[in-house]
Amino acid sequence: MGSVSLSNIRKSYGAVEVLHGINLDVADGEFTVLVGPSGCGKSTLLRSLAGLETISSGEITIDGKVVNKLHPKHRDIAMVFQNYALYPHMNVAENMGFSLKLAKVPRAEIEAKVRKAAEILDLTEMLGRKPAQLSGGQRQRVAMGRAIVRNPAVFLFDEPLSNLDAKLRVQMRSEIKELHQRLGTTIVYVTHDQIEAMTMADRIVVMKAGHVEQIGAPLELYDNPANVFVAGFIGSPAMNFLHATAKGGQCVLADGTALGPLPVPVAEGRSFTLGIRPEHFIIDQAAAPALVSLVEPTGAEIQFTAHLGGASVLVTTRDRITARVGDPIGLRVEPGRMHAFDAKTGQRIEG
Amino acid sequence: MNPSPRPLYWTFLALIGIVIAAYILFPIFWLILASFKTTQELASLPLTFWPQSPTIEAYTALFDSNSQSSQLLQWPTLISNSFLVAISSTVLVLIFGTLAGYAFSRIHFPGRDLILGGLLVSRMFQGAALLLPTYRLMNTLGLQDSLIGLILLYSAFGLPFATWIIASSLREIPFELEESAMMDGASRLQCMVKIVLPLATPALITAAMWHFVGAWSEFAFASILMESSENKTVTIGLASFVELFTIEFNRVGAAATLVALPIMIVFFFGQRYFTRGLLAGAVKG
Repeated sequence: MGSVSLSNIRKSYGAVEVLHGINLDVADGEFTVLVGPSGCGKSTLLRSLAGLETISSGEITIDGKVVNKLHPKHRDIAMVFQNYALYPHMNVAENMGFSLKLAKVPRAEIEAKVRKAAEILDLTEMLGRKPAQLSGGQRQRVAMGRAIVRNPAVFLFDEPLSNLDAKLRVQMRSEIKELHQRLGTTIVYVTHDQIEAMTMADRIVVMKAGHVEQIGAPLELYDNPANVFVAGFIGSPAMNFLHATAKGGQCVLADGTALGPLPVPVAEGRSFTLGIRPEHFIIDQAAAPALVSLVEPTGAEIQFTAHLGGASVLVTTRDRITARVGDPIGLRVEPGRMHAFDAKTGQRIEG
Repeated sequence: MNPSPRPLYWTFLALIGIVIAAYILFPIFWLILASFKTTQELASLPLTFWPQSPTIEAYTALFDSNSQSSQLLQWPTLISNSFLVAISSTVLVLIFGTLAGYAFSRIHFPGRDLILGGLLVSRMFQGAALLLPTYRLMNTLGLQDSLIGLILLYSAFGLPFATWIIASSLREIPFELEESAMMDGASRLQCMVKIVLPLATPALITAAMWHFVGAWSEFAFASILMESSENKTVTIGLASFVELFTIEFNRVGAAATLVALPIMIVFFFGQRYFTRGLLAGAVKG
């Protein structure tokens, strides 16, 4: 069992506060991903949970037990590091069995546990090799194996895939997710890659500058971002943001182009930030006029940039459009797919 | 490092290297050859290069208790004293250098880099400048003419550089390895003993070799501090031997070869670690 509860966690380095009171509850067996740009405090938060950093105030609870003052080894957690941190002078089996050896587990039991973990991770052939003789993906698996043999209450992952090439990253992503489904252990996973967060998480915690911006299931964040930051961070290509004004129930752009009905009631004449995801545009020659300025086919879809209402917007479509740079094109938005944010605070305007 | 693209350049460099090596090695080689010649052969003209009738007579004479040289200089005592001093101070330097080097590489404290740099600066002072104050200090402490005093003195002089070598190499070992070991349940000491030190072996061997060779061949401090003949070391023995037996050059050669032997053995076995250890701080791996 491994539930985690963080309550009002603050962390300062000297006079600089890097975590400003973080609250988070992770249910037993949940796969939670902390995501945010570099420097947002996500790794610091994970390391505080691991016991590698001491927090300035707040309370960390694992399985109902306050662990603030406990040494990492007494917290019943295992961690996979970004650079794997495999012990170079030990072979794979020794790396995986190191924690058990320190815990004075009988040799036969260590061997059995290491072999079982190696089978799960397809490392049986590699047990006698040194880390230097392994590929990036294999090292990654050994690092996970080292965590698995301990059978901890919580797994922590600190950007584990960022050293791998793109193809391997996709493969390891599904392997980690499968591993989670198989073992059912609670996972707290840190990444700066929102696609990793979206594809793997049960729940995503979006962080920025030491604050939690929003917590929710991947699609919940995608469909209902709480503010401009989350809206722009989740989703690739990113959401388009336009300055708009509410006029007669319509979203009116800077040059007077009306793009469609307001998604939520907004006071007449109020300026707001209008958010539209690239895939929610519909090409319709009868709709708002725009001018194509860049066309980028990716195969599955075509991305193009267009000037619309005095701003530049990115549009993706699965249609095989033949428009070229300089061509006029008409754009409208799928009904109910526009987002309105406060122009000053960036917070979502609720209906 | 591939020599093929510029063969002329590399041939030239190799030639210079051979000339320098010959210049340095020839006297040593000559000394070793002389140690296998007879006194008559050395005194006769023309000079011979290879021993005409090779003999180890000069070596046996060193340890022959009836010979004149053995009565004046107890070579077994000299050699065992030197081994005792060099090995003991190497062990001390390794223990304290490792602990200090670990602290310098892992603990952030104000002035750390300044002190670490200061360790190197301490090597810029010529030992000769410290002879007199050291002599007075050792006298005050009652450690003159004592092997323990010499061991402590060599350790004190060797510690800064050993600490610097070890600290530089430990800095290259990612701290995440230790954090990972801590998560695996290791204490700080276990991290050091089971993770850090095995990875720092080249640096430890380098520091040990460096110190052993220095302590084994040190002359100035040993000669002013050691008065009684049962406390003298091989370098003092060799110096007085040269004064006493200039005529019997084969014995001088034999003694010098014996004194140099441990150093040669140390370098022969430790050479590959030595270069790695010295480079450890220089190149990011």
